[in-house]
Amino acid sequence: MPRAIWSGSISFGLVNIPIRLYTAVSRKNVQFHQIDAKSGSRVRMQRVSSADGAEVPYENIVKGYELSPDHYVLVEPEELDALDPEATHTIEIEEFVDLADIDPVFYDSAYFVAPVKAAEKPYALLVRAMEEQQKVAIARFVMRTKQYLAALRPKDGALLVSTMVYADELVPRDEVGELDGVADIDVSDRELAMARQLIDSLATDFDPSRYHDDYREKVLELIERKASGEETVVAAAPAPDAGTVVDLMAALEASVREARESRSRHPAEGDAAKGASSKAPAKSAGSKASTKKAAGKKGSGEDEQPAAEQIA
Amino acid sequence: MPTVNVEGHTLSLSNLDKVLYPAAGFTKGEVIDYYARIGAVLLAHCGDRFVTRKRYPDGVDSTPFFEKNCPSHRPDWVGTSPMEGASKGGAVTFCRIDSLASLMWVANLAALELHTSMARSADADTPTMVVFDLDPGEPADVVDCCEVALWLHHVFADLGLEAFAKTSGSKGLQVYVPLNTPVTHDEAAGFSHTLAQLLEQAHPDRVVSLQRKDLRVGRVLVDWSQNSRHKTTICAYSLRARPRPTVSTPITWEEVTACADSRSAASLVFDAGQVLDRVARLGDLFAPVLTLSQVLPSL
Repeated sequence: MPRAIWSGSISFGLVNIPIRLYTAVSRKNVQFHQIDAKSGSRVRMQRVSSADGAEVPYENIVKGYELSPDHYVLVEPEELDALDPEATHTIEIEEFVDLADIDPVFYDSAYFVAPVKAAEKPYALLVRAMEEQQKVAIARFVMRTKQYLAALRPKDGALLVSTMVYADELVPRDEVGELDGVADIDVSDRELAMARQLIDSLATDFDPSRYHDDYREKVLELIERKASGEETVVAAAPAPDAGTVVDLMAALEASVREARESRSRHPAEGDAAKGASSKAPAKSAGSKASTKKAAGKKGSGEDEQPAAEQIA
Repeated sequence: MPTVNVEGHTLSLSNLDKVLYPAAGFTKGEVIDYYARIGAVLLAHCGDRFVTRKRYPDGVDSTPFFEKNCPSHRPDWVGTSPMEGASKGGAVTFCRIDSLASLMWVANLAALELHTSMARSADADTPTMVVFDLDPGEPADVVDCCEVALWLHHVFADLGLEAFAKTSGSKGLQVYVPLNTPVTHDEAAGFSHTLAQLLEQAHPDRVVSLQRKDLRVGRVLVDWSQNSRHKTTICAYSLRARPRPTVSTPITWEEVTACADSRSAASLVFDAGQVLDRVARLGDLFAPVLTLSQVLPSL
């Protein structure tokens, strides 16, 4: 079960419903780390002064608001703390509106609203009433140090809250010059009819599960292939055809025969190694896929430890 | 990339012609072929234990990576066994390498080395054997390890214990005392530590019982610390990531004696092909380690 990111209560009129918020969307980005290609170790960020390049200790860093180039107003953390909105732990419902009245451009992040124990009844009541009235609640609440505008709406018997951007955070459309006059362009009825026809032919019910982040999936596939020791390949490997499944030993025999023949064609390579086990061998040709282990840091997920410590 | 059928499971074998042992020209196909042929004896030694896989996707000269956790992309027919309290975060879930198919799967991932726990996965707190890992510090070599192994063999004979030796497949030698009777990791470690210290006192110029590298020069480290719940030791019949595809090979006490007498380190180096011949001829010399019941004496 995910961890609640906020707890408080929904308040409207005289009713108070204790609830918790859970993230409703988990972003799936592939996270990369910066690695020094030479040593394979993690790259570390250092905060340095642009004046002399010396490292600036964390306690010496303050916030500066740029008035004009090279002119800053410095603000101490305590000064900002004093301005923090009071954390009231209340989602204050201010009004109920129709869902269609809210333009989707306002929506930001979505959270599940879950009732705490003993608050299930008033919670269910609120959900049911909002469903029947087909209304969305506009509310305000404070999370961390930011005051949010939010829309609460019923969905499948539960409440979802979407934080919303403020009206003055929307970019006015006049700032995009190309949009000037677009609405005034004349189109003929025939052109419009054709465009309508095209739209109708593509019209369907929206099914979000049909869409995937192909790029992310390809990146993950690439990483998995490289991690399992395969060469980097650009095109996806063709799906194994059930008709070409061969016997294990037959497949191996062919491969082993080939390796032995290749060795007998270049006997010097193999002979040189015999008995000279301490000699550093030549690097394998074609071992390009690099799976370097970070030297300093423990890899996440897999347990990795230095050879000498754990393994004989 | 041939797709093969192993025990009813389909598996794609990739890059079979990739050379994993450059100095020997030994390919990934040959690695998988070795594991396919040795599986019959190897699986008895790793099938019901926690296995740490040491993978060399770019060959023995590249940086390996250790894997304990079984990845989520494993085929659904590869089983897992959790080890409670194995890491700070709680349980580590190991892959079970208990079938030819699962062995082929890890071999295809270039897991050249398989390291196994002293305990069976069903009972992580009970080691089934005690290991003495004899690790020579140059210029000492496997010949010195054989001498130390023979001293240990003497002590075990006096204690009425049977012991079994195998090469590490690298530079050293390992001596195992099968137990297969109730015992704790602490008791096994205590026993092996005491014996290591006794040997060190008896032969201070030849044996050390401490891990420190500087003490080891020209001596043999009797490493007792592998007798731990959290450690794994190279499994019998596993390949090693050495210049040549050498194998951790069970050997007879006659071979240990012969090596010590002839002072020929090369006599105890066996590669994949030689090990397959030996197993065809001698069977599994290490089979008794799995079954022989002996009670750990108090020292």
